[in-house]
Amino acid sequence: MSDRTRPDDLTLPDDLLLSIRDLRKRFVLHAVDGRVVEGLQGVDLDVAERRHLALAGLSGAGKSSLLKCIHRTYVADAGTIHYRTEPGAVVDLTGLPDAEMADLRAREIGYVSQFLRAEPRRGVHDVVTRAAVRMGADADESADRAAEVLRRVNIAENLWQTYPTLLSGGEKQRVNLAAGIVVAPRLLLLDEPVSALDPANREGVIEVVADLTARGATVVSVFHDLDAIRRLADLVVVLAGGHVTDRGTPTDVLERGLELVPS
Amino acid sequence: MSPHTQPRQRGMIGGTAATALAVERLGKIYGPGGPEAVEGTGPEFARSVSPSTGAVIGCWDVSFAVAPGEALGIIGESGSGKSTVMRCIAGDQSASAGSVNLAGVDRPGGTPADLLQLAPSDRRALRIDRLSVVYQDPAEGLDLRVSAGGNIAEPLTAAGWRHFGRIRQRAADLLSRTEVPLDRMDDPVLTYSGGMRQRVQLAKALANDPQVVLLDEPTTGLDASVAAGVLDLIRDLLEETGIAAVVVSHDFSVIEMLTRRCLVMHHGRVVEEGLTDQLLEDPQHPYSQRLVGAARG
Repeated sequence: MSDRTRPDDLTLPDDLLLSIRDLRKRFVLHAVDGRVVEGLQGVDLDVAERRHLALAGLSGAGKSSLLKCIHRTYVADAGTIHYRTEPGAVVDLTGLPDAEMADLRAREIGYVSQFLRAEPRRGVHDVVTRAAVRMGADADESADRAAEVLRRVNIAENLWQTYPTLLSGGEKQRVNLAAGIVVAPRLLLLDEPVSALDPANREGVIEVVADLTARGATVVSVFHDLDAIRRLADLVVVLAGGHVTDRGTPTDVLERGLELVPS
Repeated sequence: MSPHTQPRQRGMIGGTAATALAVERLGKIYGPGGPEAVEGTGPEFARSVSPSTGAVIGCWDVSFAVAPGEALGIIGESGSGKSTVMRCIAGDQSASAGSVNLAGVDRPGGTPADLLQLAPSDRRALRIDRLSVVYQDPAEGLDLRVSAGGNIAEPLTAAGWRHFGRIRQRAADLLSRTEVPLDRMDDPVLTYSGGMRQRVQLAKALANDPQVVLLDEPTTGLDASVAAGVLDLIRDLLEETGIAAVVVSHDFSVIEMLTRRCLVMHHGRVVEEGLTDQLLEDPQHPYSQRLVGAARG
């Protein structure tokens, strides 16, 4: 990380929150004789502030890899990810020192996957309340915010004191989403947050996500669900084999009839 | 030379993270020879024993900084040097090279003091109220023949507390915070379970609100369910107090739960550093990949 320099003169067009250029990621498996697995092979992407950009494509196309590179869970090999911070500075997330990246994650860049990773021995409401406190919400206010968001994702109140490990898969996903958005981050990375939801609960989650952008968050998402993409995304970027193969509004891209999801 | 201590600063100062603890190029050589003995050791040579002098290189060229309120992990197998790093910072062992700075501990004139150059008495003084250690083995951090209350009274009296009632009250507050039943407070620690001993160590470590706490395998050797409870407590304490922490463990679940950044050590060297989730999901160094692969099956 630290061998990359960080120029002070990074710029970003005014309306953009995030701008990715020639992003490359390969996985070198040292345990398998250094075998190389190609992830991203030169991705360009611009995300405007307060917009929802959906990544689409088949399994293995690089969608999650891209989200994880932005979040720095994966280390990109080349390319830049310019991001405008809340105070207005433009930084390259690929070269930011770990501690600064950790601060950004704590304050403004959130990542929600389909898997709940909650601390053990904590009730559902407590998990979400603590997430709010960690994101800087007032301690007194956090419990109320947690209650509100749990209601919105339709977690029954009689489950609030239950340990998340005892919940169903769909309930876990909703608790995870609730913890990720109880304080809306400026940039929210959503990695298939609703893969295990029944239609009624999916509807609720889609409304909650739509409301996030309405309230000023910027979202980059992966949904294996054309209906969710159509209703939520301002822009769709299609990935295949680590390359961008198409981009446009959901209507345009879907009309071009690309196979976005495994049938 | 005695260190000039200044009021502590916590949290963000002027928009940039302050540093609570800074370690620069720390090295420890057991045996004959100076820096030249290091030649031919390390991960690329797959050995920690100097080919020229036979000295064991405990750790070498280890650098990191920890901000107030931040927890940094050090992970590696036994023998990787992670505990050596901790003991050199704590002053339990003398380092062979490098420097260690603690925020607010300055030389006359205001430049940061190098802890490694302080007189032994000054170093011991730092352990009273600025730098605490929680050891894997409670027998190292506690006098097992003495009561929990007595163990906690020790750093308090060293820090100048004199009033018996207030010392006792403070000890009781700390023990209830670390979930030790107060009706056991006057029993010798020897009569406590392993999990409770660790809770007493935590209470003692926090007695004088230190800036930095070093945790060396704090839950290793405890039953899984007891370990989970102690981890939970440590996490709460770190979040509440804003103490800077260094957590040494061979166990990824401990590092994952407590830290957001960590170092991977192997043969006495840092082979990789990164955000904790990155090291778990996208380890770069062959050794880190092997370590994660072994842990995750």
